[in-house]
Amino acid sequence: MISLTSPIRTRAHSWPAGLKLAGLCLSTVVLFFIKDLTAQVAIATVVATLYALPGRAFLAAGWRHLRGFWFFVLIVAIYHTAVGEIYEGAVILLRLLSAIALANLVTMTTKLTDMIKVVRFLAKPLTIFGLSSKILELSIALVIRLTPVLVEKGSLLSQSWRARSRRKTSWRIILPFTILALDDADYVAEALKARGGFTLLKEN
Amino acid sequence: MIQAPIHSDTTQEIGNDVDLAAVSFDVDGQQILHDITFKTNAARVGIVGRNGSGKSTLARILAGLITPTSGVVRVNGHNLAKDRRAALAEVGILFQNPDHQIIFPTVIEELSFGLTQTGQSDPDAAGMAQETLNQFNKSHWRDANISTLSQGQKHLVCLMSVVAMAPKLLILDEPFAGLDIPTKTQLNRYLSHYSGSLLHITHDPADLQSYDHLIWLDQGAVQETGPCDQLLKSYQEKMNLIGGQDDISDLSD
Repeated sequence: MISLTSPIRTRAHSWPAGLKLAGLCLSTVVLFFIKDLTAQVAIATVVATLYALPGRAFLAAGWRHLRGFWFFVLIVAIYHTAVGEIYEGAVILLRLLSAIALANLVTMTTKLTDMIKVVRFLAKPLTIFGLSSKILELSIALVIRLTPVLVEKGSLLSQSWRARSRRKTSWRIILPFTILALDDADYVAEALKARGGFTLLKEN
Repeated sequence: MIQAPIHSDTTQEIGNDVDLAAVSFDVDGQQILHDITFKTNAARVGIVGRNGSGKSTLARILAGLITPTSGVVRVNGHNLAKDRRAALAEVGILFQNPDHQIIFPTVIEELSFGLTQTGQSDPDAAGMAQETLNQFNKSHWRDANISTLSQGQKHLVCLMSVVAMAPKLLILDEPFAGLDIPTKTQLNRYLSHYSGSLLHITHDPADLQSYDHLIWLDQGAVQETGPCDQLLKSYQEKMNLIGGQDDISDLSD
């Protein structure tokens, strides 16, 4: 989600985020009821056209985001070839790719702050059970902020391993990585406290 | 609107009353700080000491982030560990590692957060954050993603976020350790313009050359307090002396 940004500003950027997400929900449900290959090919073509509309740069960015799923495509393809259900396999694959592509499309054309506003709206009923929507928002922001930091820490840890080992990094770095992450969490909690923490957050 | 916390002329810096009486801090029975007592209202206060002398713990106690095991801490008469609302107006703290301080993914969100915490509405906070960016001539940083910034730039974001809240006292916990000379010089220039008072914690005497009052911390206790020139000289001599020895061999109990 962090890297799922658009290289250009499209017309869809100004559409309401809630509407886009509702549309995504509906189209994904519809996708699951369509079992006809021709219809799925038609839908996939429409999705590809949507990506092509804002121009070449957008289409290329969209393709890059989708390319990461090649492994799942491969597994589904191998399985269905093995059990001899080529037609069903093709329907499932097209459905999967269209659904992911549509979801990416919404993410690419929606600003994070707009997305968080939708979450705040949806979480409103939960406030009667004591959930603060401010805390929820803060948590989302923290995840987005700290994921690149943790990825960087993980890669540094794996480099320290490789600097002193001929073998590949193993699962044994998971424990030190967890401790590192918990330690970081302590510091961030302190920084949060230094600027008022949750107590003042709830009062606002 | 807040008063401009950064000024370019030579306005007199205002000191804050920092008063510690017999402050001790223990972790699992081990004493980190021992009977710290000092009082100052200098505008530029420095705390020097070796790694592990308890400097960072003292910074956190002064900011009210942790409560001392015994003793009394007052900043302008407030007990900041208890009164967190007052704490935001009295002190801001800058940590050593920006990745431990920055909570939000973009610059403007990070600057706005502290302001909303002091009770500003979202649009007001955004406006004041923008104002702070302008003061630092960094209005083009507004929507920049934190993960794309250099280490020095992240430090400046931390500084701007704290300055935006205009605390009377800014506590710096080894803020620029590990940065290159130009970056450090540039950040120090931004700091020297701060109109509130500074309490700078460091192991490096070079950081404190122009400070008004210094406190030397050693093994969790106050070794010496006094004006800059005299204290830094004896600190430097002692550090060189220890440097010639081998106390790195000693393990703690």
